[in-house]
Amino acid sequence: MNHNPIIAEDLVKYYDGRCVLDGISLEVPRGCIYGLLGRNGSGKTTMIRILLGLEPPTRGRTLVLSEDSTRLSAKAHGRVGYVAEGHNLIQSYRVSRLIALCKGLSLHWNDDFFGRLMETFRLPIDRRVRELSAGMRAQLNLALAMAIDPELLILDDPTLGLDTVARRQFLELAIDVIQRQGRTILFSSHILGDVERIADRVGILLAGKIVVDCTLEELKDRVKKLRVIFPERVPDDLFMTEIINRQSQGREMILTVANWNPQKQAIIETFKPASCTEVPMSLEDIFIECTRPTSAPALQESEV
Amino acid sequence: MLTLIAREFRDNLACLILTGFHSLFTIAIAIVSAYWGIPWAGLLIAVIMGIILAILFTTLGAVQMYTDRANRVSSLLATLATTRSRILAARVLAGAMVILTTLVALLITAVAIASLEDAPLALYRSTIAEVFATVVLTSFACYCVGLLLGWTAIKAFPALGMLFLMALVVLLVVIKGFVLPAIVLLVLFSVACLAHVWYRFTSISL
Repeated sequence: MNHNPIIAEDLVKYYDGRCVLDGISLEVPRGCIYGLLGRNGSGKTTMIRILLGLEPPTRGRTLVLSEDSTRLSAKAHGRVGYVAEGHNLIQSYRVSRLIALCKGLSLHWNDDFFGRLMETFRLPIDRRVRELSAGMRAQLNLALAMAIDPELLILDDPTLGLDTVARRQFLELAIDVIQRQGRTILFSSHILGDVERIADRVGILLAGKIVVDCTLEELKDRVKKLRVIFPERVPDDLFMTEIINRQSQGREMILTVANWNPQKQAIIETFKPASCTEVPMSLEDIFIECTRPTSAPALQESEV
Repeated sequence: MLTLIAREFRDNLACLILTGFHSLFTIAIAIVSAYWGIPWAGLLIAVIMGIILAILFTTLGAVQMYTDRANRVSSLLATLATTRSRILAARVLAGAMVILTTLVALLITAVAIASLEDAPLALYRSTIAEVFATVVLTSFACYCVGLLLGWTAIKAFPALGMLFLMALVVLLVVIKGFVLPAIVLLVLFSVACLAHVWYRFTSISL
């Protein structure tokens, strides 16, 4: 039996006839920090909401901690911490009341740790949630999610609205503690530097499909950006599979290729280039290349 | 479950205060009219206060569901260590407790006044039980309609349809009287409403 904390099998979701998720299959291994990336509207939040049972799938199924998401038991819910995009807290409640409610509806509440977090974040417990700044709401949401000592932590763009210092503090706190305890994190963010810093594995959602699902190292190994200079002009007959992006100007060609291997290198060498240098790529560069509208077909065929 | 029920009471405090105030007002009027011996007052009070009470219970159900939807309360609760079914069960239990408390207080007042007037209560025991059961079930049916209305408040036609259906059920009770068929009808109506609310609440996106 598969005991991965998150499993999605052929997940499909339609909204008003529009396909948001198109046959997603995904597994997040235990103890892994999985960075889920994608442009706005690519389906990240929908996928997270389906995982938590907040949204019913159109087809397919998802398992969270070995339970079907549509029928998650209270016990399973109690083992999952969730920080929602936009921090979905009850705005009319005072912070103290919200804390009491979450504590009352938890299986396990780590008072010491929660107290430390509240002290670090300096959150005022007598104010209403709607009176807090976006950053404070994010911190409160994270503190509430972490206080239950979650086996699985799902963070949907948690650092949205936080300043740089608070963001760094937030990430370090979340990751250190959870990683030390060997917990699993599913982390969706637009700040790719954060994902690059903490994720072991990344998935890229594009037009409702997972086009990348591998470890960060594998991704960096497989996607190569090359600056090739030819003796004369760029040959027209340079064909290769899985080209993500290609830009030519005079003798110079910038080529981004998925699944880079010696065969592909040999193809380039047959054109006897004057030079062929690798351009270092950050996760952000890879993400931009992968999600460029023109590159979509190449990636969907290959699935890096 | 207790946390969820307590939350329901606290979040809908305004409705509870209104219902309590209505009960106290009804009791006060009943006592005054009994003391002064005003003829026809008892029936008139019962009809007017009954209608207000039905509206109050419908409002309670509607407010519970509407505030949940508007403030996205359940979308937070459903991520904590509970389930949607439990959230709804706590809501309905809280509503049922309010209905029972209100009506039991009114029943005690009515019985006390009748005793003071030397009415042969022992003779009417089964009638009182039937009337009380029918009133409780009618109130609960109104409350269930409120739950449905609160969840589909944006759609005018379903809301009007539900109100029409509720009026029909109340009329049937009035025509049939406080008898077993009316009780059965009310139970069926309430179960159907609850089943629909449960289906919508557990399958819709939060």
